[in-house]
Amino acid sequence: MLYARRRLRNTIMMGLCVAAAGFGLLWLLVILGELVWKGTAGLSISVFTEMTPPPGDAGGLLNPIVGSLLMTGLAVLIGAPVGVLAGTYMAEYGRHTRLTGVVRFINDILLSAPSIIVGLFVYEVLVVTMGHFSGIAGVMALALIVLPVVVRTTEDMLLLVPDALREAGTAIGAPRWVVIRHVAYRAARAGITTGVLLAIARISGETAPLLFTALNNQFFSVNLGAPIASLPVTIFQFALSPYEEWQQLAWTGALIITFAVLALSIVARVLAGRGESR
Amino acid sequence: MTQMMTIEPATTHATRHATGRPKIEVRNLDFHYGTSRALKDISLSLPERSVTAFIGPSGCGKSTLLRVFNRIYELYPGQKASGEVLLDGVNILDRKQDLNLLRAKIGMVFQKPTPFPMTIYENIAFGVRLYEKLTKAELDGRVEDALRRAALWDEVKDKLDASGLSLSGGQQQRLCIARTVAVKPEVILLDEPASALDPISTAKIEELIEELQADYTIVIVTHNMQQAARVSRQTAFMYLGELIEFADTETIFTSPREKRTQDYITGRFG
Repeated sequence: MLYARRRLRNTIMMGLCVAAAGFGLLWLLVILGELVWKGTAGLSISVFTEMTPPPGDAGGLLNPIVGSLLMTGLAVLIGAPVGVLAGTYMAEYGRHTRLTGVVRFINDILLSAPSIIVGLFVYEVLVVTMGHFSGIAGVMALALIVLPVVVRTTEDMLLLVPDALREAGTAIGAPRWVVIRHVAYRAARAGITTGVLLAIARISGETAPLLFTALNNQFFSVNLGAPIASLPVTIFQFALSPYEEWQQLAWTGALIITFAVLALSIVARVLAGRGESR
Repeated sequence: MTQMMTIEPATTHATRHATGRPKIEVRNLDFHYGTSRALKDISLSLPERSVTAFIGPSGCGKSTLLRVFNRIYELYPGQKASGEVLLDGVNILDRKQDLNLLRAKIGMVFQKPTPFPMTIYENIAFGVRLYEKLTKAELDGRVEDALRRAALWDEVKDKLDASGLSLSGGQQQRLCIARTVAVKPEVILLDEPASALDPISTAKIEELIEELQADYTIVIVTHNMQQAARVSRQTAFMYLGELIEFADTETIFTSPREKRTQDYITGRFG
């Protein structure tokens, strides 16, 4: 009797859990389905070869794609090395210092700060002083978003490297920096790489910080001193427009970002999995 | 075991040992973890080209003492040694001592195998490259020689490019010994090198220690008294941070001077 009641309760609870999971997944599938359906409708080679069109005209997304790649790439080139170095300090040299505690606390705040705040900050510091929007401001805003992610993962991954390995490196007569570079980094490589890839995934969809910094550009430009187009901002602008061609391009752009991020996530997972299995 | 029970009159002297001039001399060594005193006024001298074992219950300070010899404890803040440790008459606790050079001279193998996350070849070449500029052929020779000394060559000669982590536990530990031998140290410190290994691997490691003592001064920390009896010429028994007794291994195991030593080796505590 008691057992039967427990079993019934178990069944009900499990049913609720499954239903909740199904409910969440359903909307995700609906969103993805809609995105794929509407996005692929406009997918063609011209999307990758032509500029964004004026209202009511056909065109592509070449300038925002290039702009996004350029700004994302540069932001990672700036943010990732600084983040790795900072994380290295925190996990290796300054593990027991007060400074590390303070940096970690501030970094965590930065990590959870809304990206629009980062955009506003760069707007105040760079855009206002330069007098105009620019690609470099966009790069800096994205780099500021990359930074805390990389700091955090680098520190965490290095802390996972057993001290015994550092002792072994030290015991053989290797100076500290050699132990860090050749032993600790190698042991934590998969994790740190994953962190950088996740940071790339995060910034490739960021719109708010770019609105205040790189703004947008209807024409092809790789000039970092001037406004540059980017996929998220273009999607934002085109999706809100009344023109059908623009709306179609917005769907296609969203599809491209989604699959790029999906591909990165898969690479990150494979790398992380390889790290665990060793 | 019955022999262990016999108590002879305390005629043997604590500092009597087998052969050789002292390689390491410890004088009035104290060690602190923060405020807690882990080693209390230790003095002993370890003869050259000979195996010395440190035994004692957990927390007695035997590993701590070992870790003073290459000053590896300095990786951690709050750990401090005072007194003197002379290596060939030079005090290695001196501030002016170059730590990396010291550690190249005094190799160490740890309880858990710690292969570096690189190939078998690189695991060994890594330490050699730090201090010597060798040609590819010379380096190949050194790697082979070290692996042969560690009785691992035959098992890995066809897969030197495989990851060091792909080896079994016992092989990994011999790789670590090979890595230590490759940098041509004078002293090898072994911190419970076989406690994580199966009996067959343990036997191989012990055989290796036996062979290595022809060329190196070896200090081994072990929980396993039979192991100490098998591999060492001198044995130091430590308890609660103090050196209770230090003598020939045979003396320690057959006619210890101290009651605490006898209680420990007969299994009454620890």
